[in-house]
Amino acid sequence: MSAWLPLAAFVPLVAGALTSALARRRPRLAQGWALAAAAWTLLAATVLTRRLFLEGPFSYAMGGWAAPWGIELRFDAWSAASLFIALIMLAVLVYSGPYARDEIESRRLPWYYSLLLLNLGGMVGFACAGDLFNLFVFMELVSVSSYALVAVGGGRIAALAAFKYLLAGAVSSALVLFCIGVLHALTGSLNMADVALRLAEIDSRGPVVLALAGLSAGFMLKAALFPLHLWLPDAHAAAPCPVSAVLSALVVKIGIIGLLRTHAVFAGVEGLPMAAFGQVLAWLGALAIVAGALFALFQDDIKLMLAYSTVSNIGYIVLGLGLANHAAMTGAGIHVLNHAIIKATLFLAAGAIIHQTGSRTLRELRGVGRMMPWSALAVSIGALSIAGLPPTAGFLGKWYIALGAFAAGQPGFAAVLLLGALLIFAYYIRILNAFYFRAPIDDNMRSVREAPLPMLLPILFLAALCILGGLFGRWPVALVAPAVERLAGGG
Amino acid sequence: MEVIDSRIVLAPAISLACALLIFISGRRAAWRSTLALGAAALKFAVILSLLPGSLQGTVYAYRLFDFPPGIGIAFRADALGMFFALVSSTLWVLTTVYAIGYMKDRPQKLRFFGFFSLCISTTVGIAFAENLLTLLLCYEALTVCTYPLLVHDETPEALRAGRKYLVYTLAGGALILFGVVMVQHLAGTLSLSQPGILPADAPPPMLLAVFWALVAGFGVKAAIMPLHGWLPSAMVAPTPVSALLHAVAVVKAGVFGLLRVVYNVFGVELLAVLGYAAWLAALAAFTIVAGSLMAMAQDNLKRRLAYSTVSQLSYIVLAAALLTPLAALAAIAHIANQAFAKITMFFVAGAVEQATGRRQVHELAGMGRVMPWTMGAFTVASLSFIGVPLFAGFVTKWYLSLGALQAEAWWFVLLMILSALLNAAYWLPIVYLAWFRAPRGLPARVGETGWLLLAPTLAAAAYVVLLGVTTRVPGMPFSLAEAAVNFVSGTRGGG
Repeated sequence: MSAWLPLAAFVPLVAGALTSALARRRPRLAQGWALAAAAWTLLAATVLTRRLFLEGPFSYAMGGWAAPWGIELRFDAWSAASLFIALIMLAVLVYSGPYARDEIESRRLPWYYSLLLLNLGGMVGFACAGDLFNLFVFMELVSVSSYALVAVGGGRIAALAAFKYLLAGAVSSALVLFCIGVLHALTGSLNMADVALRLAEIDSRGPVVLALAGLSAGFMLKAALFPLHLWLPDAHAAAPCPVSAVLSALVVKIGIIGLLRTHAVFAGVEGLPMAAFGQVLAWLGALAIVAGALFALFQDDIKLMLAYSTVSNIGYIVLGLGLANHAAMTGAGIHVLNHAIIKATLFLAAGAIIHQTGSRTLRELRGVGRMMPWSALAVSIGALSIAGLPPTAGFLGKWYIALGAFAAGQPGFAAVLLLGALLIFAYYIRILNAFYFRAPIDDNMRSVREAPLPMLLPILFLAALCILGGLFGRWPVALVAPAVERLAGGG
Repeated sequence: MEVIDSRIVLAPAISLACALLIFISGRRAAWRSTLALGAAALKFAVILSLLPGSLQGTVYAYRLFDFPPGIGIAFRADALGMFFALVSSTLWVLTTVYAIGYMKDRPQKLRFFGFFSLCISTTVGIAFAENLLTLLLCYEALTVCTYPLLVHDETPEALRAGRKYLVYTLAGGALILFGVVMVQHLAGTLSLSQPGILPADAPPPMLLAVFWALVAGFGVKAAIMPLHGWLPSAMVAPTPVSALLHAVAVVKAGVFGLLRVVYNVFGVELLAVLGYAAWLAALAAFTIVAGSLMAMAQDNLKRRLAYSTVSQLSYIVLAAALLTPLAALAAIAHIANQAFAKITMFFVAGAVEQATGRRQVHELAGMGRVMPWTMGAFTVASLSFIGVPLFAGFVTKWYLSLGALQAEAWWFVLLMILSALLNAAYWLPIVYLAWFRAPRGLPARVGETGWLLLAPTLAAAAYVVLLGVTTRVPGMPFSLAEAAVNFVSGTRGGG
């Protein structure tokens, strides 16, 4: 039963490593192979999440060596994100069929699928890692495959964006690795639960604060928290659309989950300025909300717009974490999951539109709503949802974070949150206006056709989730609430 | 007595289903019209079937979803909600007939009728909302659904007006959300089934913040000055849409939200203690006068109508802010009175434009001789706005004045008289022009419009008279308003 846990992470990794060898002669096979591996991961994640609901968090000791000496994989509420990760990755893989065939050289196709699988395995592993070292290893797997994925479509812009992403990523990885080293030197242990216990007995505060600050900064860079976001817009906009969906919806969340894990390690330690730390996070989050939304407002490239919207939404999540009370952290946790679904919907739908029309600026996309009604509908639903219109999925997180702001006695943050939602709405209105209410600027638009079914199905599936995720919001709340109880109670 | 009844979900669901059907299969005009009209009639019938129970004090309720935990999407039809729903669904039937006639030769009818149906679905949702969250949800959905109608013509001017509308209403929506979160934080519930949920011992600055957030939020759609700017520019929309914005859905949603805030969120008692309502009353009084003065300066008929709406809506706000039972009666009754009179005027404006292409007030000379029925309806509505007895508007002014005296605020009675004079000053010249001047420059064969435009106009005008002469108008009972007043004030209202 507990063997599902390692299988969930390692099957996609092994499958990913084998892809290019298997598909060397027949590149077409690669997609089927990747789909099978992702479906397996989804199955495993479902089984694991079900067990989590029934029994609460559980661990698996690799090779039978018990923690703190052995490698521990742990499945808790944050690991349940792997269910969403697998689900979205599966949607992306289905979508990739027609997309990658047209946009990516056929000799690169096996690499493309192989990288996506490595990315998937890395993320699931990261979400389930119980010790700091494996946390780092999985993070690097995700990062390296992401750099490569940005560049996989070819072209100078993509290569440059990937290089920029690599530089930022390398800085962040170095910071994280350094601080893990510090923690190991201090406590002699790498298992996170164990490190948390031993930290409490350490008297010197300097190195501990250094480790906290370094880990936080490293993960913030990974999460593209404003003002550390500079790498994100280029990377997300230059990558092929399915990759953008993965990067924006999932990969940045690695930084968030990393922050949560860090928080959990340090939460029990006395004498740390955790309150001040929380305030810094909250202010940075608030800043990111407004700045990200403002940047998005002035883009004409639809993918850049979506990328900046991610910067803004990461701000919501970090604000929720920083407020550090029960309601706010519940909101942050839910928004991690819901934003993943919404942003994947938006990027995939926008990708379909870009793929079919060949243009990506709002000006050139005028009137596309009549030619591609389903894709445009998905964009509309995603837009309403990300603006936080009830009862869509995007509303829940904001609702709880706003409640948390009042509970923390800082209603100003609730006002910022709403201002951000308004700005977000303003720029999505621009998209919808262009799609539906403006006349096309040339006649090419009249010959545009709706995307093929393999692209359309995942888009509509995710768009439906954007609504259902809100209507049946008590499930994610039930998932996140106990984990938050431990965190907020400890901090 | 509260009973669980799925009919109150059925009412919004009918229009929703109708909208989906239109989007999917509404390419053919006949089928589309049948759908739209059938749904309007069916919805009216469903709401009417709830009326007998409602009159006997039954409250219908239905819970749909529980999201987030504890705060669900739930519906509940109390007397106030029933009244608003009845007004909207009655007008809906009329507007649909009118729209079918008016839109006959215009493009993009599929989108128009689809979103048209969505709008009424959300309006009934607002009327039947059990909690603030459901109310807000429907309120925001209404904003989104009216936008495509507003920019229907896709001209730069329409797009500009649409943008303005969205900026105003979405900012208002965000303020409401802010207030709703605070209510949840302070009261621990969002239910609208009590006469007041906010605790009296909450910190006063918080209560003040809640009050202004909610009032300013709903005040945008209720067009309280200085938040009214979107309404006159929204006049670029096709006439049935203007009618919808002004009489049925949008502005009434704002006013209805304000009534809910006053009666169900704060409650009359708490507001009386806090004294915030005096500010609201002052703001409303200012709007009544200023709106009328602005209306006088307009030569475009629809713009004059728009400023008149701004002024008239504040009657409701003022009446609610007086916090006395008789004024509450005026507030609720005026939802119907203003709606029927205003929709009559819009129907007339649209019909005149359709028949002659004229939009300016000074071009209306002699119109009564060419289109006697249409201008007759206009005259009825004008007299109602001025407050002549035996017309609907008089009932409002009467109870509002009594309510003001109950509240020992006699100067509002003077305000009523002043407002009547102002109304006379900008409506009577039109009536005079239409009947007592000779028509100029009109082609010989111009006459009344077709029945599709004329019949709803006359029906609405008939309602204006009926509401003024009897308290037993079929389907629009005064006693329902009384029942609502009894609930909010806990005492016997007069009348």
